[in-house]
Amino acid sequence: MKQQLLSIAGVRDAVLQLPNDALTPMREAALAHLDEHGLPTVRNEDWKYTDLGPAIDISNRWLAAGARLDVGGDMDAAIAAITATIDANWLVIANGLIDDSRTTSINGLEFSRFSERPTPFDMNRPLANLNAALLRDGLRIQLSAATEKPLGLLIIDSADEEDGVSQASIEIDVAPGCDAEIIEYQASVGDGNHYANSIVTLHIGRSASTNYVRIQKRARSHVQTGRISATLDADSKLRMASYDMGGGLIRNDVDIDMSEPGAEVIFSGLYIAGDGQHIDNHTKVDHRVGPTTSSQEYRGILNGNCRCVWNGKAIVHKGANGTDASQANHNLLLSDKAEIDTKPELEIYADDVKCSHGTTVGQLDAAALFYLRTRGLDKRRATEILTHAFAVDIVDRAPVAAARDAIATMVESRLADLVQDVAL
Amino acid sequence: MLEIKNLKTRIGDTEILRGLTLSVQAGEVHAIMGPNGSGKSTLALVIAGHDDYVVTDGTVTYNGKNLLDLEPEERAREGVFLGFQYPVEIPGVNNAYLLKAAVNAKRRHNGQGEVDAFEFLKLAREKMAALGMDPKLLNRGINEGFSGGEKKRNEVLQMTMLEPSLAILDETDSGLDIDALKAVAKGINTLRSPDRAIVLITHYQRLLDYVQPDFVHVLSEGRIVRSGDKSLALELEDKGYDWVREAASA
Repeated sequence: MKQQLLSIAGVRDAVLQLPNDALTPMREAALAHLDEHGLPTVRNEDWKYTDLGPAIDISNRWLAAGARLDVGGDMDAAIAAITATIDANWLVIANGLIDDSRTTSINGLEFSRFSERPTPFDMNRPLANLNAALLRDGLRIQLSAATEKPLGLLIIDSADEEDGVSQASIEIDVAPGCDAEIIEYQASVGDGNHYANSIVTLHIGRSASTNYVRIQKRARSHVQTGRISATLDADSKLRMASYDMGGGLIRNDVDIDMSEPGAEVIFSGLYIAGDGQHIDNHTKVDHRVGPTTSSQEYRGILNGNCRCVWNGKAIVHKGANGTDASQANHNLLLSDKAEIDTKPELEIYADDVKCSHGTTVGQLDAAALFYLRTRGLDKRRATEILTHAFAVDIVDRAPVAAARDAIATMVESRLADLVQDVAL
Repeated sequence: MLEIKNLKTRIGDTEILRGLTLSVQAGEVHAIMGPNGSGKSTLALVIAGHDDYVVTDGTVTYNGKNLLDLEPEERAREGVFLGFQYPVEIPGVNNAYLLKAAVNAKRRHNGQGEVDAFEFLKLAREKMAALGMDPKLLNRGINEGFSGGEKKRNEVLQMTMLEPSLAILDETDSGLDIDALKAVAKGINTLRSPDRAIVLITHYQRLLDYVQPDFVHVLSEGRIVRSGDKSLALELEDKGYDWVREAASA
């Protein structure tokens, strides 16, 4: 069956509706690219498990209805609640519109907009063309010194009766030697259909370190495609953890590019999916030189009729001797209708490398379940405790301390909900 | 307190208990001995409610209730405790958390409020000290990386915190050195009371030097083939299980 196509005429109309500003040439170039290349389809190996059909349907309805950015209800209360839960310097992108009123420039943190100084946009990343064509404005952030509070990026979207579509594009530059902490929080208001497409481009300077936490807590009616592209300079470090706590159709891409020696990335992820959810995590690490180190571990807890995908690719380029790359993906299936497609991929073109990978798919340990029950805990509570035990390592690894309590609470309540639906 | 009549069970196609009858009254300590494969652990797991074992005949009554009708957690809340022969390791679940959850599950069942967190920790630390346990084990995952002896002591710790009416200890003495054995025996002895019953499942007479049983039973091929007082354990130690088997088949 042919996939429903995105209405290019609709996108063209939407581009024309946006203000004629410094970004207009980029939008037009992106439109031309989109017209020629389209969006990824399941015929593309990297997208074979994730059909963007729902995103295209939402987009076409939104385009046909006038491509308004102000659909949906008021987000102030939700924004206030989130920014009060995690103490950070918050920048908000609400339905694709940047709102930087909560944070003024402080020492070590500066931000500006793409429209003030347009830079070339890499269209070859999937969905970058759509992002650039419909982008109202992008956010550029320069981190030059450690700040007291982490930087918080809240990408929040609201949709009620009308469908919504939003683009977010954020460029972050961490200066050489700087220690940065960043929280990316993707959230939603209302239960209407929405498609959110975001791109974060992160550059970590020489000997700098960045701790990055990514939280996704969207409504089931939301589709999200979110990409983080990170470039690491010599001797820099990236610690990252990602938490998928909600969403309907979710596709996350993490691309790490290590072109200078001494770079190191350690990242992890936790996805929790129930009935009707689809959560796809694709990661790609390019070791272009050695010695460079990458280590990743994703864990998933799946229940009901859901599907999750983990695809971790590490490419050790020619001459990248001294590379150390490890990948792990562990899954706990609580239902026989849950499906996980897990695939580690190693492409090695160098000789002196250390690479390992391992994936597991399992069910709850019956002996542990019985043990807890003989101590007076009912089956559901015991199930909750054991699923939590499976997740807790990844929670503890959240590299931004200010977000850890909020993440722990979120995981606990998400698991309590998920376990309510487990057939016992 | 516990009345088992003509109990027959199987796992898969294998019949394990073949008409076991046993009566345990409050205040009594019973020891069940027997060779490997005689059904000792099966008996313990059936009483605790393991669903791999299918009861094909017989009855198990606990304080007048049909025990077999209850879920494992209901049995626990009613005061049945099983000390496992092989306690599982559960990384990621804090030992103290489980202890408290277990105590509170029982208290709620009895219409009591939850324990005071401070008092609870104080009591747990005291009991650990009495068992010669490192207090750090309280904050580790359940049995995670524990030595064999630590696992057995942890079972006894749970038992002394839960204060069960009926405690079944499945080879709690195996793998313990003499100091650990004494500490564990002391823990068991503190629980002895007129309103409680203890069933010790063991291979060896050794534990019974420290916890004196009122009755000793010999289990062989799924039946109790001989019962007596504590002198039976000494006789067994002396003559071996073949003696009982021969006596039973004679």
